Amino acid sequence: MTSSPATPSPTGRRAVRSDERRRGVLRLASLLLAGIGAIAWLGRSADPASRPLAAGPLSLGAAIALTGNANLYGQDQRIGLALAERWAQQDAAGGRAVRVWLEDGASDEPSAIAAFNLLIRQGVIALIGPTLSQQAFAADPIAQRQGVPVVAPSNTAKGIPQIGHFISRVSAQSSVIAPLSIDEALRRDPSIQRVAVFYAHDDAYSTAEVQIFDKALAARGLTPVTVQRTQLADNDFQTPITNALQRAPQLVVLSVQAVAGGNLIRQLRELGYRGQIVVGNGLNTPNIYPICQRWCDGILIAQAYSPELNTPINRDFQRLYRQARGDRRPPQITAQAFTAYQVLHEAIQRLHSKGGLTGVTLGQARVRLMHELLAGRYETPLGPIGFSPEGEVQQQRFYVAEVRMDPSGRDGRFALVGQRSLNGARP
Amino acid sequence: MIEALLQTLLNGAASGGVYALVALGYTLVFSVLGVINFAQGALFSLGGYLTYLLMGGRIGVNGALPGWGLPAGLPFWLALLLAAAGSGLVALLVERVAFAPLRRRGAEPLLALITSLGAGVVLVNLLQILMGAEGYAFPQESGALAGLPEVLMIGGARIRTIQLLLLLVCSAAVVGLSLWLERSRGGQALRAVAEDATTAQLLGINSDAMVRLAFVLSGALAGLGGSLIGMSVSLPGPYFGIGYGLKGLAVLVLGGLGSVPGAIAGGLLMGLAEALVPAEASGWRDALAFAILFAVLLLRPSGLLGRRTVDKV
Amino acid sequence: MIDNGLLVQMLLGALLGLSVYLPLAAGQLSLATPAFYAVGGTLAALLSTRWSVLGATAAGGFPVLSLLLELVLGGALAGTLALLVGRLVLRLRGIYLAIATIALVEIVRVAILNLPFTGGAIGIFSIPQPFTDASGYLLTALILLVLTGWICQRLDTMPLGRAMAAIRDDELAAGCMGIDTTRVKLTAFVLSAVVAGTSGALAAHFLNTWNARQGSFDVSITTLAFVILGGSRAWLGPVVGGLLLTALPELLRPVGDVRLVLFGLVIVLGPVLAPRGLVSPELLERLGRWGSPTREQKP
Repeated sequence: MTSSPATPSPTGRRAVRSDERRRGVLRLASLLLAGIGAIAWLGRSADPASRPLAAGPLSLGAAIALTGNANLYGQDQRIGLALAERWAQQDAAGGRAVRVWLEDGASDEPSAIAAFNLLIRQGVIALIGPTLSQQAFAADPIAQRQGVPVVAPSNTAKGIPQIGHFISRVSAQSSVIAPLSIDEALRRDPSIQRVAVFYAHDDAYSTAEVQIFDKALAARGLTPVTVQRTQLADNDFQTPITNALQRAPQLVVLSVQAVAGGNLIRQLRELGYRGQIVVGNGLNTPNIYPICQRWCDGILIAQAYSPELNTPINRDFQRLYRQARGDRRPPQITAQAFTAYQVLHEAIQRLHSKGGLTGVTLGQARVRLMHELLAGRYETPLGPIGFSPEGEVQQQRFYVAEVRMDPSGRDGRFALVGQRSLNGARP
Repeated sequence: MIEALLQTLLNGAASGGVYALVALGYTLVFSVLGVINFAQGALFSLGGYLTYLLMGGRIGVNGALPGWGLPAGLPFWLALLLAAAGSGLVALLVERVAFAPLRRRGAEPLLALITSLGAGVVLVNLLQILMGAEGYAFPQESGALAGLPEVLMIGGARIRTIQLLLLLVCSAAVVGLSLWLERSRGGQALRAVAEDATTAQLLGINSDAMVRLAFVLSGALAGLGGSLIGMSVSLPGPYFGIGYGLKGLAVLVLGGLGSVPGAIAGGLLMGLAEALVPAEASGWRDALAFAILFAVLLLRPSGLLGRRTVDKV
Repeated sequence: MIDNGLLVQMLLGALLGLSVYLPLAAGQLSLATPAFYAVGGTLAALLSTRWSVLGATAAGGFPVLSLLLELVLGGALAGTLALLVGRLVLRLRGIYLAIATIALVEIVRVAILNLPFTGGAIGIFSIPQPFTDASGYLLTALILLVLTGWICQRLDTMPLGRAMAAIRDDELAAGCMGIDTTRVKLTAFVLSAVVAGTSGALAAHFLNTWNARQGSFDVSITTLAFVILGGSRAWLGPVVGGLLLTALPELLRPVGDVRLVLFGLVIVLGPVLAPRGLVSPELLERLGRWGSPTREQKP
């Protein structure tokens, strides 16, 4: 093989070339290996946790979905965080400055992990995100292992706070919320017997919520006459709706995401359904108005956030939102992102005034912050909230609203029809 | 019973018509180049957004220019045609950037799968930056339905009028395209290139021009489809065309690659099969489309109505 | 800039690139890699969370030996599936094969979503960890990659590899030369599945959670892009493509909202500027000649 022919024959040249190629492969492969080794060496966990906490502003890392399928939520969350930052600047005279470091957590698990890793290495004191529950199951364990507090603004799946004691959330599970709206529907029409249920079966949020609805229905002696499974990407519901309408339902329960929900409501009405519609928490956003327009009128929704709540902090939040966005009302997901920032901000200020942030390493500061966070009570746009020792949000007020659309059918509001206080309830 | 059957047929036809339209867009490009244009789904989204803007819709709060919109809106049907033309032009641009350079170098057709995919990624993300991720609904007053009821009853079965219109426009587009391909000189030239590019070249047909024509037509079909869907179910975000793109791919192969009647038959068949899935099993619906495809490929590799040819990639 | 976590993702990308490359080296455009990746990942997720014999601890730890067993089982299950499916689909050619394999990916995805024991849309979470940080995964993934690379390199000199190359050049002629084309193609397909299944089993632990979204049509196309951009004529091509394209969106973070637009442009322009990929046989030959003055012959 290695003979060097003076006058190369075709086969000889081929042999030489394959020999050269093999040597080339070997060289490039060793080069790559050396490169990977060098990157691994440079990138080995330069964990900033052992460094002393620097004076000056603290950074909060936020990894939310700015690209991919969940970007609709991400962009509403981005607003919430920006407003919270503005709110904090207004009243933080003498406190510790906090700024948000925003990264795109995209809509998939590897990106959420990469964003969390990046932010942790930048030395953030706590994390907000990621947007989807599935992403949280991937990225939260990483923060947990490195001892970085996480406040989830929108994860509602079962088992999120149980990932570890550094993981908490401000997004209440549907288990507490969903039954309220069914009660309201039954109050309006006690004769309801036949219920149709629609949910997006490839969506983590809807599949969790629909179980709650099922339980709530069963507890009231109702079994669904039909359950229609849709997909996240569906927007044309002609088939499931006509199937369901053949069973003559008196109440329709929907657990789908916002835009699909708007379409489902519109098509239900267009195809002739006149009964009551109860929708899940995913539709608690004005984003549905332009989709279902006048057909939205009269639907019932249980909310973890009501724009109508008349408290100083919610008025502040609404004012900031109006300044940024004109006269629309903020969606729940924006309020929850605001709240995630707010609880961290307040916990940091309390810790700061106690002197808990002086003379400690970043790692110790993270531990203390987590402790302080869980111990506090907060007056938020969502109402008064606190945390269980596990990190589960303990929200005291939930609301039932009815959508009332303007005569133009372009815009509307969630009019409060009921409110329930749960004292010391464990979600 | 008859009513239920009729309802199922209508449901199947309504979604099948859209599938056929998407598959037809792929078919045109495939028949002349033998490659699949993965940017088709993005062009579908683009058409919907163009129609929205042309009808005077405003950019939402998360877009690049919040609140911006054209000073005056066009009526739906005019906006629809202009949007189709616009999507056709963008398709031409995609051809120039992602396909033509590869063809000039005689590169493997495989590469075009990736370059067209890249073009799709660029388009969808540009749309998102410009328009934001929120859903948009077309301004209804100037809508296509002026004067018609929302729902039509046909023998006891119900269908939304917009869906019926969608089906009619799809059929018209499909029939028009088939006639054009059969009868007109341009259509015959296009088919000649699809049969055999070299011979067509010898006959004096400019095959490059035919390729461009195929792209413009397929882009226009995508724009048409996206706009009609947008009218029916609003624009659920810049990614909405991608899902239709994937389903269209299955339909394309089901009917037979490069076959126009095959694309139509495949679309309707797929729509019907999905409409027949009972509610209890609807979680498996998406697998059904591909399971049918899988079975058809194994039993009849050239598709239901495709020609039996030996091809290499 | 690149931390060890991202490096693990890059190495997994390179492995998936090789999984697409292997059938392609025998002329078969198979996009089934994500299906086998998903099968391997689901198996590992199920075994480590439900089967206590493997030794998952309450604190979330997991013996490395059990991980190795899962890697083997994940590869074996994916390989078996490939053996069954391959007999059917490998009769198809070109774009038909590509689309049949996409169908397979979708069927597997929907099945994982609907099966009663795979956790539905949320999937399987709290997957126990064999390593305390990313460096353990890094080492494992690197060993897998070196092993796969070594096999690919060995193939060049083995009858199997030559038969694959012959089929790639001209399947009909290869058949006439007495090559059992069905067996060779099937072997390449099964090898590809084993690589993907093993990678999936490792990825399930690395990602801490596993769900149906991990093996989707998108992954089919991205992994194909690894091969096309890196180069499909030498096994180092998909490796380089996988490493670079996985890192690229992360490295583009500083540009903000337009990062995916730039990423798309790279995918469009890459094959246009380098139709043979970044790592072409010519490049390797030049690299092999480099520094040895005896080889100064112009081809």
